[in-house]
Amino acid sequence: MVSRAARAGAWSRDRRTPGRSIALHLTLVAASVVSVFPVAWLVLTSLKPRAVIETASVAPVDHPTLANYTQVLGETRFLTWAANSVVVSLITAVLGVLLSATTGYAVSRFRFPGFRSVMWMLLVTQMFPVAILIVPIYNLMAGLGLINQFPSLVIAYLTSAVPFCAWMMKGYFDTVPVTIDEAGRVDGLTPFGTFWRLILPLSKPGLAVAAFYSFITAWAEVAYATAFMTGDDKYTLAVGLSQFVGQHKAEWGLLTAASVLIAVPAAAVFLLVQRHLVTGLTAGATKA
Amino acid sequence: MRRLLPAAAVAAALALAVTGCGDGSGDAGPAPAGSAAPAEVSGTVTWWDTSDATTEGPAFQEIVKGFEAAYPNIKVNYVNVPFADARDKFKTAAQSGSGAPDVLRTDVGWVAEFASLGYLAPLDGTTAVDKPEELLPVPAASARFGGKTYGVPQVTDTLGLLYNKELLKKAGYDEPPATMADLKKVALDVKSKTGAGGIALNVDAYFLLPFIYGEGGDFVDVQNKKITISSPQSVAGVRIVEDLITSGAAVKPALQDSYTNAQTAFKDGKVAMIFNGPWSNADNLGGKVFKDNPDNFGVAPVPAGSAKAGSPLGGHDYTVYAGSKNLEASYLFVRYMASAESQAKIAGKLGLLPTRTPAYSAPEATANPKIAQWQKPMETAVERPWIPEAASLFQPLVEGYQKLAGGQTSTEPMLKDVATAYQGILKGWSL
Amino acid sequence: MTADVVVTRRAAPLSGARRLLSRHWYAWAMTAPVVVVTLVLVGYPLVRGIYLSLTDATEGNMGRTIGMNVIPSTYEFVGLGNYASILTSPEFLGRLTWTVVWTVVCVALHVGIGLGLALLLNRPMRLRSLYRILLVLPWAVPAFVSAFIWRYLLNGEFGVVNAMLRAAGFAGVAWLDDPFWAKVSVIACNVWLGVPFMMLALLGGLQAISRELYEAAEVDGASPWRRFRHITLPGLRPVSSTVVLLGTIWTFNQFPVIFLLTRGGPGGATEILVTYAYRQAFEGIRNYSGSAAWGMVILALLVVLATVYRRALRRQGEAW
Repeated sequence: MVSRAARAGAWSRDRRTPGRSIALHLTLVAASVVSVFPVAWLVLTSLKPRAVIETASVAPVDHPTLANYTQVLGETRFLTWAANSVVVSLITAVLGVLLSATTGYAVSRFRFPGFRSVMWMLLVTQMFPVAILIVPIYNLMAGLGLINQFPSLVIAYLTSAVPFCAWMMKGYFDTVPVTIDEAGRVDGLTPFGTFWRLILPLSKPGLAVAAFYSFITAWAEVAYATAFMTGDDKYTLAVGLSQFVGQHKAEWGLLTAASVLIAVPAAAVFLLVQRHLVTGLTAGATKA
Repeated sequence: MRRLLPAAAVAAALALAVTGCGDGSGDAGPAPAGSAAPAEVSGTVTWWDTSDATTEGPAFQEIVKGFEAAYPNIKVNYVNVPFADARDKFKTAAQSGSGAPDVLRTDVGWVAEFASLGYLAPLDGTTAVDKPEELLPVPAASARFGGKTYGVPQVTDTLGLLYNKELLKKAGYDEPPATMADLKKVALDVKSKTGAGGIALNVDAYFLLPFIYGEGGDFVDVQNKKITISSPQSVAGVRIVEDLITSGAAVKPALQDSYTNAQTAFKDGKVAMIFNGPWSNADNLGGKVFKDNPDNFGVAPVPAGSAKAGSPLGGHDYTVYAGSKNLEASYLFVRYMASAESQAKIAGKLGLLPTRTPAYSAPEATANPKIAQWQKPMETAVERPWIPEAASLFQPLVEGYQKLAGGQTSTEPMLKDVATAYQGILKGWSL
Repeated sequence: MTADVVVTRRAAPLSGARRLLSRHWYAWAMTAPVVVVTLVLVGYPLVRGIYLSLTDATEGNMGRTIGMNVIPSTYEFVGLGNYASILTSPEFLGRLTWTVVWTVVCVALHVGIGLGLALLLNRPMRLRSLYRILLVLPWAVPAFVSAFIWRYLLNGEFGVVNAMLRAAGFAGVAWLDDPFWAKVSVIACNVWLGVPFMMLALLGGLQAISRELYEAAEVDGASPWRRFRHITLPGLRPVSSTVVLLGTIWTFNQFPVIFLLTRGGPGGATEILVTYAYRQAFEGIRNYSGSAAWGMVILALLVVLATVYRRALRRQGEAW
């Protein structure tokens, strides 16, 4: 669908004919509609009363009401769960950035014994079918006394987020000229000092991606949170949401309203970092 | 098969009502017969409730408050765990010894499995079991495994035939169909005379059981360790379903979200009949064709097959985790929660069916018309195989049923495949 | 310019542990936290999984004491029996084939659509950042919410997709109920979910390609296709090689989409290896040995894939 318009060389607006310009915008508008429509439908559904949702009516707007939202916010522990999710996700994001940055820097700058093992480890970790191996991980957390404690979730999320982020940060650090490291060494900085004082400030876009990725990983995770959090005062949003699905029926209105409320903060974080995302994901593109 | 509420038992229940639990006020419940004086027992009981958090949970929490008032030294930590997660979550926690609750609301189909794995405390001779003679026999059997008692029944349920009276009347019927043959006839008449669909099927193994039981079949024959899902009786039962679909008596069933789609069609008046349980009452009465006309909503026993009318027993039992640090307190908690008084309150508020005969005639329970409405259908309830592997038996049949409803296979080869899958699950059982 | 400055040559054989330590302790210290946490959290289940996969351990026969109940340990070593029964089971080949189809189609569409959109977004134009935000929105929605939205959209009776089809005069499609359409549906949902990430990653890659290359090519009269083929694609390789590998791994193990959208149905039609293995392991009495063996098989398949992929990359001059 993009073959003709996909002329990579056309970077200047004035050289485009009106016809092409229309085609370009039409394509993007169509893609945007596909991308936004499901989310928009979710929002519209959350504004319908229960009786309408559970019929075959598919009007976009039908007896709009905020009842679902007031019920989710007022009559469930939604705010507690939201606070839990924020705490877990923020800690995961901060630690995730720190850990993936140090690891990424090490594998970008040094060739040390164990280098290839580390790279493989980062990759193999992502191949692990978590769904199947939750029992040994649970037992491990139980052995550490971390069941129903947030650290168990943070640790588990870090193992899913950090490998990708470290891999990506390596790509990013590869694009930072080594001459900067050299300058730091000449000034008498240790490798840590160089990393902390010179390289990190230059890597904000990469760090933004790592933060966003870690945050989203924690924010959206269900399986670990369901298994580890045994008290409903410790539920995260994703676990709490499943309370609206009973044994025999789902509360669609509450589910959709809660889903919107869950998606909004994630989208907000995204808006904050989205400018950096593109540059950040460049991930080694200029590596020679 | 045993019946749940034979006429005599119902009569006895009515008689007991006067003597047994006439006062029904929110007092401390029956005095326990155990050794430890209840007032001295202290501790914290964590209870995982799997009931619907928004509609049912509050009623149970109220009973919990009554317990806490009666036993001031025991604190109850109420946690609502979504039903869909509860089984996995409990098993993961129970095997590790960390994070499991003291008391769990356990689906009747899980008790044998949990008990066989050593996760549950045997309750025989403890304060948890109170007046066992009051318990309805079929739900009570779900709480027993290997000769021991592992649970006290909380609520019971079964499937019935729910119908839209107006649509049936338009098709020329004042009464719901009593046999499977009539079911097809009525459904086809509804279709031709009213334009609505006849019956909506829920493509789920559990909802196949009334057809299979009706012809005298079952998943397995526990006593003889025999897999009977491909027996001639079971085949005859599933053939009825196949025929309902191919003849158009049933509307084309949805395979994903099958339950919701069938319910929606019924509530919107797009189909006249559906098989469902008492839990769906409130849902149905909120539907378009019942909201302003609740009398339009009819409940009947599932139609009888050539052998009998039978539908699967459902419900929940209270069980105690074997690794609980607060066993005595947990036993007292179960005793209180499962008492006839507590059950009557739940019956009155939520319309969930009690498991003790006196509760059926308690004023709180009789105030809720749903309880009487479901008494007839409950008479058809059939005990399910209470074996540890029971939970595994549904998936192969669901997949088969989906293929059957999708028209990719027919009854006999489908059930043969299911039987083969069962042989892999039930080691050493014969076909 | 791969950091030659600080790169250390391999230590001479006789140089002893002290010298190694003094030379590399920075690198080791910087990777240590991640390595330790990963080794504990992934390494322990991995080693234990390998061990269990060689036994017949289940939830029922692993010894433990829970309160008054003592369960003796009666599981035994069975060698490669679990692997043999997985690899020879009639289900395995069918599941593997569908998993491969699922992965290839999803990744191809992720990359294809992602690249197309990235190329469009890489041009200066009005509303560019608005488009970018709208197109990336699916990434900001948690996957379990997305799967749930899609199940609602695609519902045969009251889903809005069929409603629109009917309004336009077509018959509704049994999106989730027909084996073929169910496969289409899970792929569509996963593509919707995965394109934003690919698009952003590739957009980053495009922006890093030097414009002078394009200008020079244009001066030489190279056609748009030739410029795409000979400048854009090679220039993207460092990014694309990584995201394609990771995308493949993630899609191969994409549990939530399948599980939440179709639960593997109808009739098992959309069951990929991971969801099938999950079912085998967790339905009824948990089969610890079987699930471990399944995990190892999946892991082995992916390791083989990654190795082959890396070899191919290295032949093109990529290295790690």
